[in-house]
Amino acid sequence: MKHILILFFVLFTYQCGKDLSPFGGEVNVTPLPKRLKPEWPNPEWKVVTPESVGVSSAKLKLVDEYAFTRTGDDTDRKGRRTDAVVILRNGKLIYEKYARNFKQDKVHITWSVSKSILQTMYGIAVKDGLIKLDDPGYYHYEPLSRDEAHKKITIRHLLNMSSGLTAEEGYESGPLKSSVIAMLYTRGRQDMGSFCANLPLRSEPGTHVYYSSCDTNILSAILKKVYGKEEYDKLPFEKIFKPLGISNVTFERDGSGTYVGSSYLYLTARDLAKIGYLYLNDGIWNGERYLPEGWSSFTRTPAPGYKTTPYSEDLAEDNYTAHWYANTGVPERGIHEPWPDAPKDTFAALGHWGQMMYVIPSLDLIVVRFGDDREKAFIKNDFLKLIKESVIR
Amino acid sequence: MKRKISVILSLVFLILLFWAQWNWKHLSSFPSIISSFYSKEYCSCYFVMELSEEQCHDFARQWVPISEFKLDKENLSVTVKGLGRTNTAKFQSKEYGCTLLNE
Repeated sequence: MKHILILFFVLFTYQCGKDLSPFGGEVNVTPLPKRLKPEWPNPEWKVVTPESVGVSSAKLKLVDEYAFTRTGDDTDRKGRRTDAVVILRNGKLIYEKYARNFKQDKVHITWSVSKSILQTMYGIAVKDGLIKLDDPGYYHYEPLSRDEAHKKITIRHLLNMSSGLTAEEGYESGPLKSSVIAMLYTRGRQDMGSFCANLPLRSEPGTHVYYSSCDTNILSAILKKVYGKEEYDKLPFEKIFKPLGISNVTFERDGSGTYVGSSYLYLTARDLAKIGYLYLNDGIWNGERYLPEGWSSFTRTPAPGYKTTPYSEDLAEDNYTAHWYANTGVPERGIHEPWPDAPKDTFAALGHWGQMMYVIPSLDLIVVRFGDDREKAFIKNDFLKLIKESVIR
Repeated sequence: MKRKISVILSLVFLILLFWAQWNWKHLSSFPSIISSFYSKEYCSCYFVMELSEEQCHDFARQWVPISEFKLDKENLSVTVKGLGRTNTAKFQSKEYGCTLLNE
């Protein structure tokens, strides 16, 4: 009995006293480089040779090989299963390839990349003065007023994935207790925002980063209250897609007509790159400002809650910011850059089963990759390393 | 010996019962996952992404096999039965894609 007690004590205290700050220092988010001559796609991207914008075609072949070499067939769903890759430099398209029946004009599920576009909707709502980042959610959305603890959840906490709600993001790994599965397919599917707002809290809002689709769908439900149903129905189409020249797009909703901002936006690879280009240009499109000043820095800063999040091994996999990812690392917390061979200013929108869109300001690059990877065979860092090495000047 | 085994078995059964009761909320909705996932994801794969029927089966397939499947091209819906539960997803429009119908 004594031994068992000692074992429990050791297990419980294992993480205590772990050195979490071996690197020291603050997170450093470099300002976006000044862009002198953006090439706006009106409505389509200009296609040029890689060499004309300082990229080696020979080196791009290695990127092609990495992304499109299949290591398993469709029956076993193994290996790297790339559906599309689109690369842009200096606002011009230099590489584009599709596989597995996808084409230039076919939309692809983006899964959690949708979260980053929901964040764009928030940028617009903030710029329009309809919402403030530090507004408690319950100001706009009644289900968050269930008790004093829930009332502390702000819009910023939700965007930083730090609501503190007891969500379980496990997908295939633990379907029984996964709140994301219950939200999308069973108990929550009629009204995902309300299902999520009713989860109990496990930590003080703002103190722990826990990646959760629930946080996104509460944000989506809040927007419906802020804009009213009619305007909300048109919101992404009128305020984002139309100005960016995106007409071939689908955004699915739950049983109550709320956009499933966590998972169900479908775009073409070329059009997703336009979202990246909007952020590369600091929220400006065709000379007009769409996102508030400072929104890009907010987008690229790791969630402050990382500083107080309990240590776990997978904490370093990606640095979550405000519904996007950054390659800064969180030095104060001992978290390395997730993609060490990519430029440090790389930031990204990432989704389940290999959906990804990278923005690399220092190299003026946008990279979109769609796939259907059912195992971890596509290594983001290896892919980004090859892309970086293809830039010759 | 026999008595010992039956005591152990009863204990295991009791623990299982407690666990099931504790997790009833999750357990009761679990069987529906198979048919709702398959119908929703197949619907979006076929009507939104416009992939082939074969490719969409591969996309929506899970570890637990389904027992019935119906792709209704006229009504733009997909109905699937699995683990004794039936679910239907319907294509609404190009803008709003597919949604699971209420159980």
